[in-house]
Amino acid sequence: MTIGSPDTLAVELVDVDKAFYGVKANDRVNFQLARGEIHALLGENGAGKSTLCSILAGLYRPDAGEMFLEGRAVTFKSPKDALAAGIGMVYQHFRLVPNLTVAENFALGYPDVGFRLEEKELYRAAEELGERYGLPVDPSARIWQLSVGEQQRVEILKLLYRNAKVLILDEPTAVLTPQESTALFATMRQMAAEGRSVIFVSHKLHEVKEVSDQVTVLRDGKVVAGVATKDAEPADLARMMVGRDLVLPTRDPQTEFGPIMLSVDGLRVQDDRGLEAVSGVSFDVRAGEIVGVAGVSGNGQRELAYGLFGLRALTSGTVTIDGVDITEASVLEHIESGFAYIPQARLEMGLAPGMTTEDNLALKAFWHAPYSKGRRLVASAFRDEGTRQIEQYDIRGVRPGLPIRLLSGGNLQKALVAREVELKSKILIARSPTRGLDVGATEVVRNLILAERSRGIGVLLISEDLDELLALSDRILVLYEGEVVGEMPCEEATAERLGLLMAGQREIVSP
Amino acid sequence: MTTRRFIVEPRGLASPQLKLFVPVASVLAAMAVGAVFLLVTGVNPLTVYAQMYDAAFGSARGFSETLISATPLILTGVAAAIAFKMLVWNIGGEGQFLMGAVFAAGIAIWLGDGAPAALALPAVVLAGGLGGAVWAAVAAVPRVYLGTNEIITTLMLNFIALNFVNFLIFGSNSPWRDPAVTTFPSGRPIPDAARMPDFFNRLDIGIFIAIGMAVAAWYLMEKTSWGFAVRIVGDSSSTARYAGVGVAQKILGVFLLSGAAAGFAGGLFVSGPVGALDPRSLDLGLGFTGIIVAALARLNLIAVIPVAILMGALNNSGPSLQAIGVPTATVTMLQGAILIFAVAGEFFIRNRLRRPERSSSSNPEEVVAA
Repeated sequence: MTIGSPDTLAVELVDVDKAFYGVKANDRVNFQLARGEIHALLGENGAGKSTLCSILAGLYRPDAGEMFLEGRAVTFKSPKDALAAGIGMVYQHFRLVPNLTVAENFALGYPDVGFRLEEKELYRAAEELGERYGLPVDPSARIWQLSVGEQQRVEILKLLYRNAKVLILDEPTAVLTPQESTALFATMRQMAAEGRSVIFVSHKLHEVKEVSDQVTVLRDGKVVAGVATKDAEPADLARMMVGRDLVLPTRDPQTEFGPIMLSVDGLRVQDDRGLEAVSGVSFDVRAGEIVGVAGVSGNGQRELAYGLFGLRALTSGTVTIDGVDITEASVLEHIESGFAYIPQARLEMGLAPGMTTEDNLALKAFWHAPYSKGRRLVASAFRDEGTRQIEQYDIRGVRPGLPIRLLSGGNLQKALVAREVELKSKILIARSPTRGLDVGATEVVRNLILAERSRGIGVLLISEDLDELLALSDRILVLYEGEVVGEMPCEEATAERLGLLMAGQREIVSP
Repeated sequence: MTTRRFIVEPRGLASPQLKLFVPVASVLAAMAVGAVFLLVTGVNPLTVYAQMYDAAFGSARGFSETLISATPLILTGVAAAIAFKMLVWNIGGEGQFLMGAVFAAGIAIWLGDGAPAALALPAVVLAGGLGGAVWAAVAAVPRVYLGTNEIITTLMLNFIALNFVNFLIFGSNSPWRDPAVTTFPSGRPIPDAARMPDFFNRLDIGIFIAIGMAVAAWYLMEKTSWGFAVRIVGDSSSTARYAGVGVAQKILGVFLLSGAAAGFAGGLFVSGPVGALDPRSLDLGLGFTGIIVAALARLNLIAVIPVAILMGALNNSGPSLQAIGVPTATVTMLQGAILIFAVAGEFFIRNRLRRPERSSSSNPEEVVAA
């Protein structure tokens, strides 16, 4: 292995290993990043993309292997070292202090900030950089006041303010509308044109194709391909990423639906701060129908789901399920009247992380037979039902007594979806059910949701993933600032049309 | 590239052997530390430990005294374990123990000499539990409905309870104070009918009640649907809410149960070995020692029983040390050291140390399926 000439290579990794719990997240990874290049890292969840980025950004230290920065061997003890050397990362979960202003966040950890904060200087720098890179942001705004997209701009500006030469963006488009993504791509090209290098992590092939110069595909911790983007066909990339041909399931179009299963009228719900997050939403879901709810994260999706499920009191409005008014019902009454709910953050709400898989599968049904006889638990039912469901839903990695949190993300979600499907509900609310899952688990989860539709229940699919909404929904609603700003059958929906609505542009309805 | 000697990484699943080994090692390590101190003071630690063993287990009488000391510790241990499991930091076992003693002695004195044992004994036990639960409720209700910090409230309530007991005996002519003794204020002896019957030396049936209650608490938490709901709340309150479990009600229930367990301990102690609400005999820190018992038992409600017997043995052996010129406080020091090592040992149950290797071995124990 030769060490690249310092004139061209910004970063080089040679034979890098990193293991967690004895599982190799990076296995002899070799990676070369040229100056002024947009380099896509493509791979399924758990393929090792984030680990690779975290090594570059100084968050993890590799178990073995070497790292060169412009031809010099380097070792980073912390992200601070990496940033000082010119490598910065925008994480999926932003590292910003919500109560501080944009300018104050700029100053955080910046080595040249003196004892007195030169706010004017920071304001000027933020505005100047924002203008130059097409990242407009108000330096005096507090972070919590900003949208997710704006917060991402602040993260990028922070790195540019420190003059990072290598910028790592970990799945930056996951939280953006298609239009915002396009703007981000322009910024990335501008940065590359100045000789900065950008590592772009994604599992969306069309984005990789659109913006990157070079692609590295990771699978099971190993580099399986490194090609120039222009030479790669999306289908080839997909095959390399997954290791086999794979077509994700989609619904079979249907126009006949059953009776109304869920009816929502004038729903108003507040957020954690007591501000109105859902402002008078009305819709119906019929039996055998999947209704998709599109929207950028933070436009009332969470509160809509909480309100429907009884986790949060409604300000006003009514909810009926199969003709029964459940507006005032408790969560338990919702479950009993036929509500299943797949929440978004599995380990925060949805699973009991420290309990076993068998216990988690019984989490909503343990009050009744077969799990309980009177008030006594039936241990054999936990075991038998658990074994059956673990086998039937192909939940892997389960061992007796093992807390469920130690399963991989895909298996966690399979367990959660299995439990909700086993409720044999009348309505299923699913929030971003395949977010963060690899293609195999995505396939399983999508098939389970489609099977629920075929069983004749109503499904409300709340997702930020437009591809998924377009593949599964019979009808799509668009949620913007707590209101339904558009509704269309799936056949009339396109990513562009949905994206404009998601960004708050109202359509002029032509008669 | 890396030069570190060891890597710390979380364990997937600790083996049962390890879970047993760590508490045992904690006790041994504490004894080793204790030995250093004893050597410094010029006594042979082996002599001391032999003396302690002899006092606690060496004779039938000694062992029965050990079990007498263990009886309240089983229940204060249950009180701490049941609450800590649910992340309810009730460190008010001491105060709840004392209030249990106040209630139990109160009902016994109120019933008087005429009441039959068949009435007086259950009344004393239940009153003890009630007293503990009432005292726990003072902290539990604001915790559940207002979000106050129970660590602070339960801790402070301990001192209020202790001063209340002192007031009843030293500061007033309350019914709890013995009017017959005028030289030094002391507790009024409770009627014989309300005293737990002895069956071996001074050992009374309280030990069986305590063990029975520990087993009942274990059954409630592990084998009933209520206990399952409680475990969900203890693991993740947001998931419990999502699964339709009433979180506030469960936390309140566990808090009161924890207080009741400590209160039972107080009730059994006054109606057993002490026989009166006597501050000097009750202020032994039995509620606090329950926290050590729970930690060393790793919050396992059955393991609390043998651990309480061990701690009871330590308490029981203390006075015998004076005979060989070693201060009784040695026992307190050992108990403190055991707690420190038990808590530190948790680190090794949750994590492992591993030497970094070029090609890391795939130990099947730690592989988590992808």
